[in-house]
Amino acid sequence: MWKFTLRRILIMIPQLFVLSVLIFLLAKAMPGDALTGAMQANPNVSPQVLAEQREKLGLNDPAWQQYGRWVGNLVQGDLGKSYVHKIGVADLIGSRLANTFYLGVAILVLTYLISIPLGILSGRYQNSLLDKTITGYTYLSFATPLFIFALLILFVFGFQLGWFPTSGSVDVGIDPGSGSYYANKFYHLILPAIAGALVSTTATIQYLRNEVIDTRLKDFVKTARSKGVPESKVYSKHILRNSLLPIAAFLGYDLTGVLAGNLFIESIFGYPGLGQLFLQSITQRDYSVVTILVMLSGLLALIGTLLSDIILSWVDPRIRIG
Amino acid sequence: MGMRAQTFAPEETIQKSPSSWSILGKELIKDKMAMISLVFLALFLIVIYGSIFFIDQEAVTKVDLTSIKAPPSADHWLGTDRAGSDIFGQVMIGARNSITIAFAITIFAAVIGLSIGLIAGFFGGIVDNIIMRFIDFILVLPFLMLVIVFVTIVPKYNIWSFIFIMTAFLWVGKARLIRAKVLAERELDYVQASKTLGTPNWKIIAFGILPNLSSIVIVNMTLNLAGNIGIETGLSFLGFGLPQSTPSLGTIVSNATDPDILQNYWWMWLPASLLILVLILAINFVGQALKRATDARQRLG
Amino acid sequence: MALLELNNLKVHYPIRGGFFQRVVSHVKAVDGLSIQIEAGKTYGLVGESGCGKTTTGRAIIGLNKITEGNVTFEGQDLTKIAHKNQHSLRRDIQMIFQDPYSSLNGRKRVLDIIAEPLRNFENLTKEEERRRVQDLLEKVGLNPEAAFKYPHEFSGGQRQRIGIARALTLNPKLIIADEPVSALDVSVQAQVLNFMKEIQKEFNLTYLFISHDLGIVRHMCDEIGIMYRGRLVEQGNTEDIYENPQHVYTKRLISAIPNIDPGQRQASTQARQHILSSYQQDLNNLLDPEGKPLALKSISSSHQVALP
Repeated sequence: MWKFTLRRILIMIPQLFVLSVLIFLLAKAMPGDALTGAMQANPNVSPQVLAEQREKLGLNDPAWQQYGRWVGNLVQGDLGKSYVHKIGVADLIGSRLANTFYLGVAILVLTYLISIPLGILSGRYQNSLLDKTITGYTYLSFATPLFIFALLILFVFGFQLGWFPTSGSVDVGIDPGSGSYYANKFYHLILPAIAGALVSTTATIQYLRNEVIDTRLKDFVKTARSKGVPESKVYSKHILRNSLLPIAAFLGYDLTGVLAGNLFIESIFGYPGLGQLFLQSITQRDYSVVTILVMLSGLLALIGTLLSDIILSWVDPRIRIG
Repeated sequence: MGMRAQTFAPEETIQKSPSSWSILGKELIKDKMAMISLVFLALFLIVIYGSIFFIDQEAVTKVDLTSIKAPPSADHWLGTDRAGSDIFGQVMIGARNSITIAFAITIFAAVIGLSIGLIAGFFGGIVDNIIMRFIDFILVLPFLMLVIVFVTIVPKYNIWSFIFIMTAFLWVGKARLIRAKVLAERELDYVQASKTLGTPNWKIIAFGILPNLSSIVIVNMTLNLAGNIGIETGLSFLGFGLPQSTPSLGTIVSNATDPDILQNYWWMWLPASLLILVLILAINFVGQALKRATDARQRLG
Repeated sequence: MALLELNNLKVHYPIRGGFFQRVVSHVKAVDGLSIQIEAGKTYGLVGESGCGKTTTGRAIIGLNKITEGNVTFEGQDLTKIAHKNQHSLRRDIQMIFQDPYSSLNGRKRVLDIIAEPLRNFENLTKEEERRRVQDLLEKVGLNPEAAFKYPHEFSGGQRQRIGIARALTLNPKLIIADEPVSALDVSVQAQVLNFMKEIQKEFNLTYLFISHDLGIVRHMCDEIGIMYRGRLVEQGNTEDIYENPQHVYTKRLISAIPNIDPGQRQASTQARQHILSSYQQDLNNLLDPEGKPLALKSISSSHQVALP
């Protein structure tokens, strides 16, 4: 088990390296460099001064030296500077990170709150009307593109019914830190989180449904039932417990999609998180921010799959041998 | 010789199992939703490709200041947008573009994924190992963000660039699926038999194994087509999909990024959104029915 | 001179393990097997599942990689011939597979299945090809119309005939038959076996007959080799093996053949138990430290056995 975990972590090292090289090359391919921002601020700088500056910053060094310096800086926490916002990328990301984190957690919690009961009900009452309705819902949520779904929800519940705020993460003018501030933040979070959760439940519901149907007929469940264990306990204690770890493994894979999924949700609900920052930065050609965000997202994906693979290897020993 | 043929004729009873194509067909007919979807898709394709002859992109995208944001009427079936252009015409053109490009991406990704999956699965060993490492890596990349970055930095960006960028990421899933299937298939005796008969490897792959994977490939491509329409329209919605000159359904939906339009001018975004939804659902219904047909356990019976 | 000669054949598979997936040891599927098969005869290779008999057959025809040793066919060492030249040798050695279901590609018509080797080796017109295939179909006792059907329209026994027709297409000299009837109904087995004997005379074929069923082997084979853990424990003609088995492993296999006479049941059960107990006592003395059978020793001109 530890051998697998260790080997799996070792595999991540070359992946991380290739990822960083790829992103470094992308950053190089993006128009403009560290001086472009300065040039915009002061268009009168002579080309000579600019060339000297370039030399000083090492922009004429061989690519691998620049790569080494770039990675070195990243590791030391120097993520560069945003040309547009004139502050460090780290600070800029930090200011948005909390919002994206809240949204991510809210979506995950809601996803499981919805999918675990639905999955179990669907499997328990297999082929009933309830099961068919739930299966129909999973079809719908699997097929619907997130952006369409988010727009429809925003239109109906935000604009037509007016139940929820339609933009932002908190109303202006509320005293930060107060109880009503957090309540208001939560209020802003509900609609985007529902939109994100409702389209990401399919895998868990289908998995649980199949698992319940398969386990229901297994001997240990029959034994429990024949011993007089109440039906609800059979499901909560015997069946669910067996399926929880694999579901936990989905969590890792969910992590990989957090930033990408938030591109749509944050842009539609005007929610100031990292996804929105990414889209704004790329429209404003603020490439240092873009680079770091892509790197962050890739890193998150690597860690997410790592976690999932490790959890799955605990559950299913066959994976470890391979 | 004739004697022998006679003596052997009444051997065991012959169980004639239906060929997999007729199973696919039967399953489609049995599943009403899938059948309705298929008919709808066929009619819809005829309409949007037929509309090439009736709808002129120049005329549709023309700015008409006399009828800005006009609600649906006899002239403009789905009203007009901020520039006074006809929404219905835009939806027709957008649907055509979105579907055509999703088709193109699906087919390119399938061809590449299929070739690489077949090679990796059939030959195995070190080739397979290298390919799989590469695929695993591409799969963990933040796909949407990278596509957006590529779309913005590619010089002379056009439809082909978009198709190329998307294909570069989307072949991997197919390659992985096909590889796993080939890995199982190549151990079967008919492949071994072909080897002992002196059939060259490429022939075994192309004429032996590939036809046996065709139903899986068809199912997978159908589901991918739906997925690709979703990805393309989503990216176009964000403004990083098809270039300006090629309006997509997503481009029309992006009208809704203006809260005023989202709230007050439903015809400028809702019909296009619903069309995307219906298209994807219909393709998915067909795909799911085909999938059930290939998996005996799930057949409707 | 023997048509086919295996000399100290070894087929080993690496086992990977440990942290870096290095080769840590080998599965020795075939470990020093020597056999000679005379032209026109049938050699039976017998053993329990996992003894390496199938691996041997597949190694001869090139489906498994040979680790060590020689395979000499008509005086030519197959292991030393470049891959390109093996192509022409392919047509002289053919194989009949165990499973008549998976060995025929369900997507191809019978015509295409049987014509596959023709298309690889001969340049025939469509018409000539069709006639050749239909001739073969008639030879294996199927209706010529069968050429235009698909495999799933045939029964197991008929499918195996199609497999045999395919193996016969190129007029091979040696046919490796890997458990050719074990997937078939018992009622059909005899038909196919008798038919294989008929075509052996007609086409002057040599068989390497791989089986676990000693009853069938007695019916089919001239020479028999008993395999255990990748090596032979005993080899001889049919009479040597069935009437005068020397190795305790051979004795045990033969005692396991069911006896049809109900009156003998008591006696044969006792004999079987007697052999079983001597098998359990003696077998370990007859193996080398690696757990493999000892080297063969001749006890008559036709009969060799692995005894100390």
